[in-house]
Amino acid sequence: MGQMFYQESDFENTVISYDLSNRGIDISALYHLSFQDYNTYQGNKYHKDKNTLGYINLGTSENKLCTDLLAERLSQSDMTYIDEDLLQYTDWRGQPFLRKEVARFLTFYCKTPEFLDPENVVILNGHSAVFSALAMVLCDPGEAFLVPTPSYGGFAFSTHLYAKVKLVPVHLESQVTEANGYPFQLTVDKLEQALLGAKIEGKKVRGLVLINPQNPLGDVYSQDSMMEYLEFAKKYNLHVIVDEMYMLSVFDEAITFHSVLSMKSLPDPNKTHVIWGTSKDFCISGFRFGALYTHNREVASAMSSFGYLHSISGIAQYKLRQLLQDREWIDNVYLPSYHFRLQEAHRYVTHKLKALKVPFLNRGSGLYVWINLKQYLDPCTFEEELLLHHRFLDHKLILSPGKAFMCKEPGWFRLIFAARPHLLRSGMHRFQQVLVEQEQEHRVKQLEDAMKEEVSTSQPETPASPVLRKS
Amino acid sequence: MSTLPQKESRMTTACPGSDSIQGLPGNKGDGLERECSRKPDQKPLKFYGVGDPTAMFCSSSPYLSSRGSIIKWFWDSAEEGYRTYHMDEYDEDKNPSGIINLGTSENKLCFDLLSRRLSQSDMLQVEPSLLQYPDWRGHLFLREEVARFLSFYCRSPAPLKPENVVVLNGSASLFSALAMVLCEAAEAFLIPAPYYGAITQHVYLYGNVRLVYVYLDSEVTGLETRPFQLTVEKLEMALQGANSEGVKVKGLILINPQNPLGDIYSPAELQEYLEFAKRHELHVMVDEVYMLSVFEESVGYRSVLSLERLPDPQRTHVVWATSKDFGISGLRFGTLYTENQDVATAVTSLCRYHGLSGLTQYQMAQLLRDRDWINQVYLPENHARLKAAHTYVSEDLRALGIPFVSRGAGFFIWVDLRKYLPEATFEEEVRLWRRFLENKVLLSFGKAFECKEPGWFRLVFSDKTHRLRLGMQRVRQVLEGQPQVAEDAPPRQNQEP
Repeated sequence: MGQMFYQESDFENTVISYDLSNRGIDISALYHLSFQDYNTYQGNKYHKDKNTLGYINLGTSENKLCTDLLAERLSQSDMTYIDEDLLQYTDWRGQPFLRKEVARFLTFYCKTPEFLDPENVVILNGHSAVFSALAMVLCDPGEAFLVPTPSYGGFAFSTHLYAKVKLVPVHLESQVTEANGYPFQLTVDKLEQALLGAKIEGKKVRGLVLINPQNPLGDVYSQDSMMEYLEFAKKYNLHVIVDEMYMLSVFDEAITFHSVLSMKSLPDPNKTHVIWGTSKDFCISGFRFGALYTHNREVASAMSSFGYLHSISGIAQYKLRQLLQDREWIDNVYLPSYHFRLQEAHRYVTHKLKALKVPFLNRGSGLYVWINLKQYLDPCTFEEELLLHHRFLDHKLILSPGKAFMCKEPGWFRLIFAARPHLLRSGMHRFQQVLVEQEQEHRVKQLEDAMKEEVSTSQPETPASPVLRKS
Repeated sequence: MSTLPQKESRMTTACPGSDSIQGLPGNKGDGLERECSRKPDQKPLKFYGVGDPTAMFCSSSPYLSSRGSIIKWFWDSAEEGYRTYHMDEYDEDKNPSGIINLGTSENKLCFDLLSRRLSQSDMLQVEPSLLQYPDWRGHLFLREEVARFLSFYCRSPAPLKPENVVVLNGSASLFSALAMVLCEAAEAFLIPAPYYGAITQHVYLYGNVRLVYVYLDSEVTGLETRPFQLTVEKLEMALQGANSEGVKVKGLILINPQNPLGDIYSPAELQEYLEFAKRHELHVMVDEVYMLSVFEESVGYRSVLSLERLPDPQRTHVVWATSKDFGISGLRFGTLYTENQDVATAVTSLCRYHGLSGLTQYQMAQLLRDRDWINQVYLPENHARLKAAHTYVSEDLRALGIPFVSRGAGFFIWVDLRKYLPEATFEEEVRLWRRFLENKVLLSFGKAFECKEPGWFRLVFSDKTHRLRLGMQRVRQVLEGQPQVAEDAPPRQNQEP
């Protein structure tokens, strides 16, 4: 959810502190410059009655579609139980009752061939925390993970802030060619290219990060593709971290999501680690819950050491267990509503995009659409992309520019549609306004350029008159 | 002066100088002298030690990074005692022969009050906004409440400000974040020892920051007024010692009320330590986690936030949490109070990794806001129960002729079992500790707090009477079966069945 446009060099002299260590300054500057928009938004949120001039956030991948259902479920009487055990120090890997429930939950929803073992589950306070701790235990400082890009921007923070682990992008392309069957297709070829590139640069790559369903593209990998990627990783002795945070957010019935845990045999089970959490699938990003599932007991033990730095309150763990164990509610009330609302919102937004003639990737999962605004950038550069992003901000609309996802090509933006209808309507209205403005400005600029050209070619140069130069 | 490799500098701390063994009988003395004579030049080093959390690490894993292997080793080598305890916990009905835990510093006396309060209807509200991404520094309503709460209970001269408050999921996380933003890797914090041992990992795991121990002595000498007293002189010597070994010290950690000693610093002492830190441009992190757990009023505890004038407000950071004072260590809520916006902002950058759920934040705000309940129900009852439990245990200890240190704060008594060690070594200390565990009572041994002198144990008394009674009985059984080292070497007593 953070937007990492800035490299360290962008703010060399902007933060001076005599009290912080160098790494303290680095962390602080990097984070705060990048999260400026988010912080501004926190201080001035749109409200349909109380603050219509506030910011509409269609940039942070937060699921607000079913907060009402969750609020209702979490208020029910079975959620209010308190026990001494919940108020005391406990197993830092997560309360046994919750790890058991997570194992059961994932066994069912991931359709695993065998029952998952609670001993292989580590629970921390959020997906970012799981990532940060994994980066620490799998890599030494300066080592790296391969990441197909465009990819969730938050990884860069989770691997860097504490762990100082680098990301090596595997750049995917929008253009469909012989090597590229569909836009942003991930192939083993590209993975190998990126790995080779890293080796040449002297970077030690320890693992591969895959997000499935993918963020920001919304792709869902086929079982065959996933197997290929896992075999690539095994061949080069890499860990694979599979982030399945959006696993229940596939709303197109024609698409089947296959969890990596559903595979009958993994090429390298000791190096395959799966992350899941409730933030996206259950609309409770404020709850702070993330789980790691791994067959590798050494990884699980090392992760457990971080348990007390990334702990969740006993009461929250209890509520999560109550939530996850309520299959009836999940299958009969929640998921149907959730998918329906996702479909509706997706349909609304894509309809608008088509009307505005904005190209986009039409996928059936996730909370967002990957849209192409290249036609509004002249020239098509990251600088222009940033300017357009600021123009959206001026209109109190937050979108995420492609650079934040390490996208190689300028002009792409991620637009979140997992918002309530009235918010989405107002948001799309502002979106349209900005595009209209951008187009107008573009046209005016083109006219000005054309006029200047005319003037300079129609007037002969005489010694007495000044030479008009093309601007 | 030669620089010793760190492993050795830890071991030398096991060799006390001659002045701390005054009054101990000849045979023990001989053993010590023999040890000391092997390392004649160690005496100056007893005032400090540079910690190396990885000193005993040996195995690496093919799956993990180098630091990953060390991190895993921390988990594997975590207190044998707690693992054993968790597999055989005492339960009045289901497991009466299980282990009584007098080792973990947790307040088990007031769960009834807390459970009742946390079940009340105002605690059950679920606002949609609480389920969404927050201001990572902590919801404003909570930071405002914390500022008000600390202003009142710390008796600050001026109202404290919400913008100086940062909220995280526990004080451990605060130490981790502070270590990260105040220090470079391998730099250090000074800490008076004995100290709450878990801090070692809090600052090391992510931060890779070490601790420089300022060793305190049980022996009262010179201008000191009490055992294990911290003086500026000791701080200066430790700092010098660290510098001479090329260890860069960036800050000082003070725990007040102190764990494990249960001691409190007077305002004058606090002022001295803060002046020392200012002289050397060190940050001071004051951990006041037991601030409301002072059950002996006459002790006169003063928070650092109550001081009229801090020597260096920009480098004074206060840590507080609900774990101890409200007996809810499982709830995971800690706060930082600092006037230094650079530090607050830097810590906030890491808050996403140490966030607590919006619902928990809401409940904490409700709890802190309820002054009536706190002042009229909780605190009086809590202090009364703590005092009663403390009296029970301390009387038992007196009856057994066991010396101890305790000043009326915290949940524990620092017990002197040196006379029960045939040799003043940490091996004997662990052996005694294991004997307690075998007799189904868990205590914490002094080495876990980096106490310089073997033979000290921390005994937690904040538990229900029936468990205390049973626990003390089991402690007594072990000690009565243990030969004491007395001057006239009494005949060995028969072991109790």
